[in-house]
Amino acid sequence: VKCQHYPPVRALQASAALRRASDEHKKEPLTSSSQQHFDSPPASHQPEQEPQGPHPSYTGQGGQESEDYESEEQLQHRILTAALEFVPEHGWTAEAIAEGAKTLGLSVAAAGMFHSDGSELILHFVSECNTKLSKLLEKEQKLVQLGEAEKKPIDEFLRDAVEARLRMLIPYIEKWPQALSVLLLPRNIPSSLNLLTSMIDDIWHYAGDQSTDFNWYTRRAVLTGIYNTTELVMMQDSSPGFEDTWRFLGNRVADAMTMSNTASQVQSTGEAVVQGLMGAAVTVSNAETSRAVR
Amino acid sequence: VYQVFENVAKKYDVMNDSMTLGIHRVWKDILIHKMNPCPGTLLLDVAGGTGDIAFRFINYVRSVRQRQLQRKLKHHQNLSWQEIFESYQKDQFNSLGDSQVVVCDINKEMLKVGKQKAQHLGYSEGLSWVLGNAEELPFDDDKFDVYTIAFGIRNVTRIDLALQEAYRVLKPGGRFLCLEFSHVSNPLLSRLYDLYSFQVIPVLGEVIAGDWRSYQYLVESIRQFPPQEELKAMIEDAGFFRVDYENLNFGIVAIHSGFKL
Repeated sequence: VKCQHYPPVRALQASAALRRASDEHKKEPLTSSSQQHFDSPPASHQPEQEPQGPHPSYTGQGGQESEDYESEEQLQHRILTAALEFVPEHGWTAEAIAEGAKTLGLSVAAAGMFHSDGSELILHFVSECNTKLSKLLEKEQKLVQLGEAEKKPIDEFLRDAVEARLRMLIPYIEKWPQALSVLLLPRNIPSSLNLLTSMIDDIWHYAGDQSTDFNWYTRRAVLTGIYNTTELVMMQDSSPGFEDTWRFLGNRVADAMTMSNTASQVQSTGEAVVQGLMGAAVTVSNAETSRAVR
Repeated sequence: VYQVFENVAKKYDVMNDSMTLGIHRVWKDILIHKMNPCPGTLLLDVAGGTGDIAFRFINYVRSVRQRQLQRKLKHHQNLSWQEIFESYQKDQFNSLGDSQVVVCDINKEMLKVGKQKAQHLGYSEGLSWVLGNAEELPFDDDKFDVYTIAFGIRNVTRIDLALQEAYRVLKPGGRFLCLEFSHVSNPLLSRLYDLYSFQVIPVLGEVIAGDWRSYQYLVESIRQFPPQEELKAMIEDAGFFRVDYENLNFGIVAIHSGFKL
């Protein structure tokens, strides 16, 4: 009976609060909802999505499920994390997500919240790996700052960082090619590209890169190239402990270092040549003037 | 409402086909695809009288199960023939993977037609037929994975009660899916649709089923049904999250979906 009196379009906060409250509390948010409706007409045009961040928790009432104390996003996060365990068996699919939901005590139908191609699961995994890498690099940096470890030369640092990141793929390596193809779907490209660039940024940041000139772009591009090619090599590597991949990685990093040396050499040679030409021109003009004088 | 469907039961499927020019099959297929059920899902199909949704669900789950079994077999490359044979036997008897459908309807005649159809089409396992009222379901709390109601919710007098019952019988994480006629926002299409509904459908009702009034009632009840946004709000009121709708055919039909979280 109550719902027929609600205005068809309602502010988000009201609907969320109503959902959370038990029956007795329903009357309170109703008055605040009508206030919000008049105060902020634009709010009515917001897409109907749950507000981010935790819901207010009502102690005592509505304690049937722990979801009262977390937001939808957090719940989705938990489901995806639980689903990772089933990926080696089911692949990056809705089935793995369904199994993950089951372990949390939810119905398998909860997998319907996500895309059936498993995109969200893969993006979640990549983002988790990147976070782990950041934490690892930060820890290493702290050790260096405290003087407990040596600062690594740049090629070794890059090589270790990329290797650490790629090692996180090892448990899922069989199904990873499938994941890569899903990440390349047009729908997913903005997110996957974003994750990739921020990871590369992170690595250079911890490597001590503070350039603000064109070098910033070249360094990012070079490292992205190294990471992507090594990842592809890893997909096809069947050597024990992926030694072929790490050797490939070492070679690419060494190439990059040589290339940058060559580049600076070329630059200084260029400068030298230009100076030589200038000197020659000055000498010739002097000789001309002195001959003219005579 | 009961009497309308008593008259209509036997000719229900034929009328559906002629009224919607067979598109209702596509709508129901889309509903099941959206559900994307995996084996082991327990489905409650309310107002599902003649079993259309139930049969489609079983077909879908069967094919998913087949693929699962094939994948498992591929992994059994290193086992001996004896072991492969044994595991194949075990799985073969579980072709639905423990999935089940309970078809619930308020009308005995509709259920009878449904049971006959099931027998005729060869569906034997995983189906149950229960007489019940959507506003007061004869089931325990937290039982089902998915609750569907296809073209049934507009016939429920207290929609909010039906939604609350749906919330009650679903497991945490369970999904509510509703397929129903809805409002067409495009004005040109809306005029054509109205014309078709009011002129053609009752005539078809008279010709095919000999019952003009029931189909007049049908068309009017569609017009009186709340539009997409309003139904979405009602579903949210019942406690569902991530409530969302998808218009099919420009709003002639809409699928609403919500989760019990």
